[in-house]
Amino acid sequence: MAGYIARRLVLLPVVAFGVTVLIFALLQFLDPAIRAGAFITNPNQLKAIDAIIRKYGLDQPVYVQYWTWLREVFTGNLGWSQAARMPVGEAILRFFPPTLELTLFAFVPIMLMGVWMGTAAAVHRDRLIDHVTRVFSISFRSLPSFVWGLLVLMVTYGRLNWFPPGRLSLEADLFVRNPEHRFVAYTGLMTVDALLNGQLWIFVDAIRHLAGPALTLTMVSIALLVRVMRSSMLEVLNQDYVRTARSKGVAEPVVITRHARKNALIPVITLSSLTIVGLLGGVVITETIFNFPGIGRWGAFAAQQLDIPGVTGFTMFVAAITVLGNLLADVLYAYFDPRIRLQ
Amino acid sequence: MGLVTLASRGIQVHRSRLGGAAGAAAAVAVAALALPVVRERILRFPLDFAAFLLFVLILVAFWTIPSDFTRRMRKNPLSVIGFSLIAFFVAVALLAPVLAPPPPTSRDAYLIPQRGFAADPQPPRPGHPFGTTEGQYDLYYGIVWGTRTAFRVSILVIAIAVAIGLLLGGLSGYYGGKVDEAIMRLTDIFLAFPGLVLAVTVVAVLGRSLTNIMIAIAVVHWPIYARLLRGDILSVRGRDYVEAARAAGAGDLRIITRHVIPNAIYPFMVLSSLDMGLIVITAAALSFLGLGPDVGYADWGTLINLSRNWILGRPGEPFAFWYVLVYPGTAIFLFVLGWNLLGDAFRDILDPRLRGSA
Amino acid sequence: MTRLRKLLALAAVILLAGLTGAAQGQVKNPDTLIYVTFADPETMDPAYAYDTASSTIILWHIYETLVFFSGSSTGTFVPMLATEVPTVANGGISPDGKTYTFKIRDGVKFHDGSPLTAEDVKYSLLRFMFMDRDGGPSELLLAAILDTHGTRDERGALKPGLFAEADRAIQVSGNTVRITLKKPFAPFMSIMAMWSMTVSKKWAIAQGDWNGTAAGLSRLNNPKKPEDTTMFNKANGTGPFKFVQWDRAARQVILERHDTYWRQPAALRRVIVRVVEDFGARRLMLQQGDADIVVVSRPEQSGVEGLPGVRVIDDISRLITDGIFMNMNINVAGGNPDVGSGRLDGAGIPPDFFADINVRRGIAYAFDYNTMIRDCWRGKASVGNGPIPKGMFGHPSGGKWYAYDPARAAAAFREAHGGRVWTTGFRFGVLWNTGNATRACIASVLKANIEAINPRFRVDIRSITFPTLLQQYRESRLPMWILGWAADFPDPDNFVTPFMHSEGTYAKAQGYRNPEVDQLILQARFETDPAKRRAMYAKLHEIAYNDVPILYSYRVDFQVMRSWVRGWYYNPAFFGPYFYPMSKQ
Repeated sequence: MAGYIARRLVLLPVVAFGVTVLIFALLQFLDPAIRAGAFITNPNQLKAIDAIIRKYGLDQPVYVQYWTWLREVFTGNLGWSQAARMPVGEAILRFFPPTLELTLFAFVPIMLMGVWMGTAAAVHRDRLIDHVTRVFSISFRSLPSFVWGLLVLMVTYGRLNWFPPGRLSLEADLFVRNPEHRFVAYTGLMTVDALLNGQLWIFVDAIRHLAGPALTLTMVSIALLVRVMRSSMLEVLNQDYVRTARSKGVAEPVVITRHARKNALIPVITLSSLTIVGLLGGVVITETIFNFPGIGRWGAFAAQQLDIPGVTGFTMFVAAITVLGNLLADVLYAYFDPRIRLQ
Repeated sequence: MGLVTLASRGIQVHRSRLGGAAGAAAAVAVAALALPVVRERILRFPLDFAAFLLFVLILVAFWTIPSDFTRRMRKNPLSVIGFSLIAFFVAVALLAPVLAPPPPTSRDAYLIPQRGFAADPQPPRPGHPFGTTEGQYDLYYGIVWGTRTAFRVSILVIAIAVAIGLLLGGLSGYYGGKVDEAIMRLTDIFLAFPGLVLAVTVVAVLGRSLTNIMIAIAVVHWPIYARLLRGDILSVRGRDYVEAARAAGAGDLRIITRHVIPNAIYPFMVLSSLDMGLIVITAAALSFLGLGPDVGYADWGTLINLSRNWILGRPGEPFAFWYVLVYPGTAIFLFVLGWNLLGDAFRDILDPRLRGSA
Repeated sequence: MTRLRKLLALAAVILLAGLTGAAQGQVKNPDTLIYVTFADPETMDPAYAYDTASSTIILWHIYETLVFFSGSSTGTFVPMLATEVPTVANGGISPDGKTYTFKIRDGVKFHDGSPLTAEDVKYSLLRFMFMDRDGGPSELLLAAILDTHGTRDERGALKPGLFAEADRAIQVSGNTVRITLKKPFAPFMSIMAMWSMTVSKKWAIAQGDWNGTAAGLSRLNNPKKPEDTTMFNKANGTGPFKFVQWDRAARQVILERHDTYWRQPAALRRVIVRVVEDFGARRLMLQQGDADIVVVSRPEQSGVEGLPGVRVIDDISRLITDGIFMNMNINVAGGNPDVGSGRLDGAGIPPDFFADINVRRGIAYAFDYNTMIRDCWRGKASVGNGPIPKGMFGHPSGGKWYAYDPARAAAAFREAHGGRVWTTGFRFGVLWNTGNATRACIASVLKANIEAINPRFRVDIRSITFPTLLQQYRESRLPMWILGWAADFPDPDNFVTPFMHSEGTYAKAQGYRNPEVDQLILQARFETDPAKRRAMYAKLHEIAYNDVPILYSYRVDFQVMRSWVRGWYYNPAFFGPYFYPMSKQ
């Protein structure tokens, strides 16, 4: 197992390097004048575009440009995001905690409900609950997330006034911002910070704002988990040891929860880190709809505004998270799958 | 044994039912042909109509000629629904010029004709059976031609992704070693992005257009095919009959085309039919984010984007503008649902691991 | 399973506890006004800001000017930081019209508590002039006071002696500021009402801003980015609201009441300006009372009409002229996608396509103005007859303009380019900024109209981002584009110059040059007799009709707010609402 993980760790920088090359290669499709635009801050500099191209070496051979660019990236200079009106690095630090919080709030229901629905479907295979679950999950993944998001916003805010868009209501926002109240942002996760500061009402307020986007993300992402859980459970239920347990007269609920589900969870655990990665893609749409100030809304806005440094910074950051997520998935897989653990 | 008789009885039942359905369809077709409008439209677009007839023939042939595949498919009502949905959409796409003829002055049939320019959507009315959207684009026309766009986008993307996947996956699986290692790391790099994120970046860099959306999504989708083919090759390579063929002096190319690819076709079919829906959703998501084709192009995502300002209706009439979201929303939902059901059906039928437990 | 149920129950309890807090019916956040718009401000620096989003926040709320507009009038003034409005009668303006004397009000306090002095006013005016960033507002004061267009020579170096000149032009003695203009300039008072925003000198220097001397100018002059100035994100003015925070990530600015304001403190304790792009979300916030005033564009109007508890005020006149611009000398260097083949062969247009008056007339007759006004503006605009908008001094109400007439359009096109336009046809692009639904609609109308004249005519309509549009029209790359112009100060000169003067913003980009026009504009600018001035502007409008390089229209705007908002009023010179007299009840 150690060898397996070590191999993965060795490959990590290779992939990271490849990601930078890919992004840089993409940027080469841009006209040098547009790439120079990344260094332009006001319209009158446009006259001096050739000088800017020379100054930043945009007319140099590609590998020289790549090296210059990589050096900047590694020294943390990811450029200036016009969409966020701040350096890209700062924007990432600023926008990531809300997204992380949202992701976690979607992740928990996805895992709990996914496992529950998948188990139920497998245990009652080809019966009503199985069909209902399948129809639900196939419908959820057949309707685009933005339609779900719009519907959720319409109903839960427009009709019911339960889940408003944004991250905090006005009162809570002003309270948090007011230095007199000494609201300390320990983690950047509003719910956690609210509890640590002993402000239960802000905790509730934050939950209300998280509920809408989290619900949307859950609907869109749960299908895969249900399906994996169902087939994994089906496979386990066919295993000899489950049959043995049954034939020994162990009560059915005990068979399912103790014997079957525990083992059926292995692929789900592996999938869990990939689910988080998938959610990071999903937030682009959800955060835009719910006006939630996270990294996805920033990325979408940057793309609309053709804020190229913003888009590349956003993409590279999400790629980094994804690579780590994949690594975690591999490690979890190695840990839980005895075939690899015993190697 | 029991299974076989049951299945054959199923076929008989189906044949008679199908006969009835075909008869009804033929009657409707004859009735429709009696209408001068329909005849005139068909004469205006004979090629599209011929393609439609060919498709109907293939469909009938596929469904009536008994095979293991169709027999399994019929057993699951969900599969039949999926199959019918897709058949319906193919028919709509092929018949698009007949169903919604472009105006004579039209320069590009994919540009939706506008009826006036006002912002407020107008409800369904004669001449505009689904109503008109913001900017008075005809929804019916947009949805009919949007079906063609959906197929064009998804088929082209799948074609590009499968082509790259076949090439790189083939090289990787067949030659193994360093080639394999390099190509697999390449797929790692492309898989290091959630699909939508990479697609957003590619479109932002290349510029907003349908072509760039297709490129962006293909870039995201090829690695899965490459990995799939590689896995298949690895599992086939060691098998006896391949070794035998090799011993008999068969060349690499011959082994790949004769033995490896035929084996990989089924998993590819499963994956690509599931992918068709996903691609259309991703393309629509890009349109929704404002990265799609220009307003007025027949594309479901763009139509849904046009509905954004109106889904809340008017004060006191929450559903005043229902048609702007319901029609394109239903189109995309049924299209994706059809492919998902079909993909699930393919998997159940073609995936040998699940076959035994049926 | 039971653990799961417990968790779900707990979540439900928490949610319900939160939900009950939302009560309907009464005024939400009674002492806070929330203004929701779709454009981010660029800066809080009064010498850098030159966009409506920034001005909406800082102008008259954080920073105040020497004089202010009286009610809804753009031509009469009331004192603000000055104790009286200078006139020739009260001796505030010298008989030759060149010297203005402002007495600075006593007892005015900056937000940090320090008192306002005449020195602060002088410092602020100099700072405004000498920041002079590229494309910034400094030229407004530089031209008015020093009769120059910039502080730098062609090589980008500061003009020697200019600062000394400015230092002499603005004299401080005791509590008065005396400004001497190079030439009498009729709109000077209007400019002072908007561009004399006063900052605290002591505070500014303490923040590391310009030290007030010639030696410090090189650091002040021409900052590259808004973030490069010290007042980008901090402020200390005399206005009724003080700047608290601008969160660029959350996209909101918080202003708080200035309790030691020189007048009665504002009724509102707080003003919050939020940016929400999506109209659906903005509308929901308005509906739920989470927004008090929202910016809505014309095509979205029906979405807010009739919402309970919401007031829509329509027919607000603005000093804005919208135009469809034709480029007489298209820049095709390095390829231009919007001129097709670049030749008059049916697949493109030559660079001088619009130089032929018959082409421009043909388009002016082909365009269906009434459809544009009905469908794109919901009837809330009118056909223009020149650059000066309705309701502004100098607008000739009876001016002639073209009417939709396909037959005349065809006749004009038949004559164009020796008849070749009619026989071979053409193809070119019309561009506007992405997201502007009204302009998209205008482009569709234009396309449909022109293509209906002759099947060989072809128009491609295309939207590009706002910055790209600005860049490309300035480089004369666009054959035809749709844009507007909002007044920097309420004077006709601020309209005829950009639209018609050969060196003006738009006319220059279009390659429009008419020596008679240039001369008339200069004469009218310095003419002090209103009757003569009016006649000159009428003449300019007549030339605008004859030469027809631009199709004009004038719009009226509307404002959407909760009906509990009180004290709102409008002046055409405003960029946004004036929060000071407002309250909620």
